[in-house]
Amino acid sequence: MSVRKKKLINQRETILRDMLQGLASAYPEVVRLTDDGLIVRAQPKAAGKVGLVIGNGSGHEPAMIGLVGEGLFDVNIPGEIFTAPGPDRIVAGIKAAERGAGVLLCVSHHAGDLMNAEMALELCQLEGLDNVEMVVLYDDISSAPKGSESERRGTAGLFFVWKMLGAYAETGASLAECKRMAERIRDNTRTLAVALTSCASPITGAAMFEMPDDEMEIGMGVHGEVGLGRHKLLSADATIDLMLPRLLEDLPINAGDEVLVLLNNSGSMTLMELYILHRRVAERLAQAGVRRYKSWIGPYATTQEMAGFALSLCRVDAELKRLWDAPCNGAFLKGV
Amino acid sequence: MTDSMNGADFAALIQALNAAMAAAKAELNALDSALGDGDHGEALAAAFAEADEKARALDKPTPTSVLQVTAQALLNRMGGASGALYGTLFLRMSSAFKDRDDVTCSDWSAALDAGLAGVQARGKASPGDKTMVDALAPAVDAFKAGADLAAGFAAARAAAAAGAAQTERMVAKFGRAKFAGERAIGHVDAGARSMALVFETLDEYWKGREHGET
Repeated sequence: MSVRKKKLINQRETILRDMLQGLASAYPEVVRLTDDGLIVRAQPKAAGKVGLVIGNGSGHEPAMIGLVGEGLFDVNIPGEIFTAPGPDRIVAGIKAAERGAGVLLCVSHHAGDLMNAEMALELCQLEGLDNVEMVVLYDDISSAPKGSESERRGTAGLFFVWKMLGAYAETGASLAECKRMAERIRDNTRTLAVALTSCASPITGAAMFEMPDDEMEIGMGVHGEVGLGRHKLLSADATIDLMLPRLLEDLPINAGDEVLVLLNNSGSMTLMELYILHRRVAERLAQAGVRRYKSWIGPYATTQEMAGFALSLCRVDAELKRLWDAPCNGAFLKGV
Repeated sequence: MTDSMNGADFAALIQALNAAMAAAKAELNALDSALGDGDHGEALAAAFAEADEKARALDKPTPTSVLQVTAQALLNRMGGASGALYGTLFLRMSSAFKDRDDVTCSDWSAALDAGLAGVQARGKASPGDKTMVDALAPAVDAFKAGADLAAGFAAARAAAAAGAAQTERMVAKFGRAKFAGERAIGHVDAGARSMALVFETLDEYWKGREHGET
């Protein structure tokens, strides 16, 4: 299937700058673009609360620039397209998020994100910034087997961490408590994704991978990384029937458990398709006796115009449900 | 002439690397698109362009200061896993040269050892894992067998090229290529290839220097 290679940009060298300036120009009441290229909250969090920071490659919008704001992140360090920012920029982000109670650096598990975060923490120590913790987050069950969870990569399901951890930090929880909460949400989250088409790199203009018209990839990462393997194209119901049992078994999620559902659009899926998919998700969860607290459907972590979606489940209890329902105000996530 | 390199040599070497990476941009992008996101050449070219600019701006370049500004460009301009690993390599070599004005064959041995150790500590990869280490580790070993800089660089270049070529038969253990499993076989690792290009450029530079071309 041919990939849409037409993109409305100016020059590839200025994609990042132009996008950040565009975001800041649209939502000045929510975010501000700093001179050193950080996206920060327009109104900083109250002093004495833990700052939340994440660095990531760009190209996944609205992740993560659209998730900075009250009840969400304090600072985002956007890197070049699909490229984690370097250590000096991460240190700048950490400093920008400090409100006197320490900073939690969130890392979506990918080799580059982790290496640069580790180097940034070493630099923080050298500078005497010792109230900084790092939490490594992952959710994609296709990227490493059960029992090797910490080797898994971070994908769309981390949305649950961003939302609920953001709300938790607003309550005035300590740095250690925030880190434990991030780990708790992570450990209750599982994701599996499929892709129907490839996408074009905005830098090179080339397709990121090849995908025949009659196939789908099961277990696609957020940068077009391959997963479990190719499968003949299935119907919407058959696709969910393949994915959902794997997610339920992996955690496991049992009858009587309660979950949040995310159907994340990886780029160019239609809402029509996503609603058709959700119909089957709701049906199958009900059959399994799993209660569905709330569902979110939309593009939260994209891979350019790739057609595909991620199905994420997060097992929740009363405390997590309260955090889920707490207010938030990012450029791309309001209310809840 | 003495068998040593000074700060001007290092600045000229970074200039040569800038030209080499610009010329290899498309080749490295193509290799990277098989298992990565297809921008390895783009990112390296941008980083070495910045490194060249910063090295030229140095008042009195030393091996240490030139490699330090190069490391900063790789870490912060390039970013990602490759930027962290290349940056670590140049940073460790920079420290190992200890602000000496001229560095000899034995200084190079120690610096390459320190650089390789840094890359392996940061990335956790060993030879055989289909990473830049597959070019770097044999190059470091080969260099040490050379009697002088010229012999060492020539041997390192050949070993790095051979090591990079061997990655074609490997399954990847790190980075996004690891998710491809067996599907990674048949593709040369882009990081190993660019590392081989670094040693090729180093050897070419030194050959030109010895023949009085620079």
